[in-house]
This record gives sequence, C-alpha cells and structure tokens, in this order.
Amino acid sequence: MNCEEAKKLMDGYLDGELDPIANQKIEEHLRECRNCDQAYKAHGSLMRAIGDGAPYYKARAGLRERIQSSLREEIAERPTQSVSRDIPSLLQSKQSERRAVLFGTQWNWLALAAAIIFAAIITFNLMPRLQRPGSDQFLATQLIASHARSLMANHLTDVASSDQHTVKPWLDAKLDFAPPVVDLSSEGFPLIGGRLDYLDNRAVAALVYERRKHFINLFVWPAASDAAKAPKTITRQGYQLLHWADSDFNYWAVSDVNPNDLQTFKRQFEVRTPHH
Amino acid sequence: MAAPLKADYAFDTEDLESSAKIVKFAVLKKHQEQDAAQERELASFEETMLPHMDAAHNLAKWLLRNEEDARDVVQEAYLRAFKSFGGFHGSNGRAWLLTIVRNTSYTLLKKNRAVDLTTTFDEEIHASGHESVSPATLLERSEDADLVREAMDKLPVDFREILVLRHLEGLSYKEIADIAQIPPGTVMSRLARARGKLKECLATRVGKENR
Repeated sequence: MNCEEAKKLMDGYLDGELDPIANQKIEEHLRECRNCDQAYKAHGSLMRAIGDGAPYYKARAGLRERIQSSLREEIAERPTQSVSRDIPSLLQSKQSERRAVLFGTQWNWLALAAAIIFAAIITFNLMPRLQRPGSDQFLATQLIASHARSLMANHLTDVASSDQHTVKPWLDAKLDFAPPVVDLSSEGFPLIGGRLDYLDNRAVAALVYERRKHFINLFVWPAASDAAKAPKTITRQGYQLLHWADSDFNYWAVSDVNPNDLQTFKRQFEVRTPHH
Repeated sequence: MAAPLKADYAFDTEDLESSAKIVKFAVLKKHQEQDAAQERELASFEETMLPHMDAAHNLAKWLLRNEEDARDVVQEAYLRAFKSFGGFHGSNGRAWLLTIVRNTSYTLLKKNRAVDLTTTFDEEIHASGHESVSPATLLERSEDADLVREAMDKLPVDFREILVLRHLEGLSYKEIADIAQIPPGTVMSRLARARGKLKECLATRVGKENR
C-alpha cells in the first residue's frame, strides 16, 4: 500500500469500517510510513475534537409533551374525520346497493310483465294461426276422409230419405243432440238422407245433399260455447270445405262442388234452419 | 302489475331507514374498535420512537441551525412517522426516525431557506492560511465547544449532516447511507471531505486567534 491509497482509506480505517484485509494493509503501511502515521494521528485528533467539541442538542423540556399531544390530536381527528366520512359513504353505498336492488326488482317486474305480455301475444295471435289451423287441418282431413268414404263404400246414408221429417227423428234417436235438418230441393240442394259419423272424437250427424250429381256432406255437431263463429273455407285435395257455426251447432259442409255453390248452400241452409 | 311493484318499493324504503340506523351503529362500533386499535398503535409507536427524540432533535437542530424550526420539524417528523408506522417493520427505529427527520428538515430548508443548501463557505476560510496550525493546537482547542460548533455550522448542510450522524450518533456507514440516501460507497469519501473542510475551518479560526 502506498501513501495515496492509505490517505484514501484513512477515514474508513479510523471509523473502523474497513474490511480486515484493508485494515491489515493500512496498519502495515502506518508502521512503515512516518508521514502517514502522523497524518493518521492528526486525523484521529480531529475526529475526537469533533466528537468532543460538537454539541449534542438534546431536546428541550416540553418537546416530548408537544409531540405526544400532537399525536393524540391526530388520533382524535381520525374518528371524527372517518365518522363524517364513513357514515355518508357507508350509507351511500348501502343506498346505492338498495337502489340497485330496487332497480333490479323493477327490472324483474318489467321482465315478468314483458314475459306475460309476450306469452299473451303468442297465445292470442300466434296460436290461432298455428294451432287452430293445425286442428282445423286435422279436422279437415277427417271430414274429407269421411266424405270420400261415404261416396265409395255405398254408405252415403243410413237413412235414405228426402223427407226431413224422416231423417231428423232418426238422427235425434241415434245422437245426444237434435241437429237441424232441412230439405233444400227448391234451392237446388235436394236432401238425400242422413248418416251417423264419428268426427273430432264424437258422434256427429252427417246430412247428405245433392247438387247436379255431386254430393254435399253436411256434418253437424253441437258447438262449443267459445267456438269461432266466423265462416271459414278450406280447399284441399280438390274438395271444398266450408265451416260455419251458429249458437248451437258447428257446421262443416264438404263437397266437390264449386265454392260458389257451397256458399249458396250455406246461405240457403241458414235461411231455412229454425234457429234463424 | 303496478300494485305489487308499489308495495315492494314501500317495503324497501322502510327497510332503508332501519338499515341506516344499523349502519350508524355499525360505524360507531367499528370506530370504538378502531379507537382501541389506535390507542394500542400509539402506545407501541411512542415506546419505539420517543427514546430517539433527542437524536431527532439533535439532527434537526444541526441541519436547521434554529431551535424553533428544529422543534417544529421534530414534531412534524413524529406525526409523519406515526402515520406511516404501519409500514415500519425494521428493528432500527432510530435510523428510520432520523430518515424522516432528515427529509422533513430538507423540505423546510428548500421551502424557507434555499440558501442553506448551497455552500456557506465564507471567503475568509479560503483566503487564510492554516498550514502552520499543528494537530496539537487543534487538539487543545477542541475543548472549546464553541470553536467546533461554529466551524461545523459553517459547513454545507450535507457535511453537517454526515458529521452529526457519524460523530454524534455514532452510526455505521450503512446506516448513514440509508438516512442520507446516498450510495454506501460514497459515505467514506463524503466523510473525508467533510472532515477536511472542518479541519480547514478550525485551523483558520485557531490561526486567526493566534495572530
């Protein structure tokens, strides 16, 4: 170690902050170098002078109390701050939660109402279009089948008579209802006879009329109270189906006559039935 | 639809009023618990930090060179220390507190007396010769407390700071580095320069008196 290095490490050496190897080296140098040893002693004197001469400014009386009271003030301020801060904020958060719940409730009610309305729309608008035509189509299929069967199996009538007063009592006796029977010969629709049939899960009356070598099967059964009164026409497989109803009965007229003839038949039948 | 909705709302409003009371009660109870916790925290803080009040005051006084400022800074430093006491997990309470005292002092110095942060070396010191003053003379004169104090007060604040931390507090280089926020490697060199300046200052004063 040379003098320059020793000078650099002098403070660290005097402060006891050097590592053991550096310590040993500087001690070796100080033993050998008189100048550096003198500088070392002078520096040591200076350091003791600082330690001895520099006043240590102890805290004066009252500072501790001042600190302690200011700390207690700080603590005392904390709850008042947090009370004024926490209560509104907690209430606010509680209220906003409540509002969220209320809003949610309202939303749920609205959603429920919307669901009910939507269901109602489906029930009253879509159902007649989808289900009733479906059931009508099914009924129409039965009606056409029954009409076609009556024509080919030589089973057009159970009671062959153009006399409505023969046909009606016979049907009344066989059925649990008394269907209207009218002869429409004067209107071009002579009554051929009557027949029992089974449609729509029930026994029904089938009145057979003729129109220019074409036959018309008029199926009659009691109307349900809520049955649609509106007339309805269905054209299927070359057959015309015309439906109407009055306060007592459902009427389905099935034939291969043209639609105008069937409408005429309906009108004449309605005119002649006792209900009107 | 409207009727159940209204009823539901009314129920909720009632519930809201009662819940406000519950919240108030809960807040007050929470505050009682908080108060107790704060008391415990304060007791712990005072036990850990008040023993270092003299050290805090000593450093502040040396840095600020004014008793009133020193007292204000120490009080403020204790408040700051208490507020961040939760973050103190070390065992060296004195070094931690002195760091806060040091930072608080520097804040005040920058705010009020920016001049103090620059060197206060007066021309007199540099102009006068001191080579003739012997170590023996310095040692004799060192018993004059005013001489050393006056010389130290003439030093720049970072020199005052490091001399106080080393000679009056006896802190290690590592602790000094932490408090003064300088790299550990520069502590020795800064101490050497501070001591060199102080020696010059003392020699000048002794030399002047001897003339």
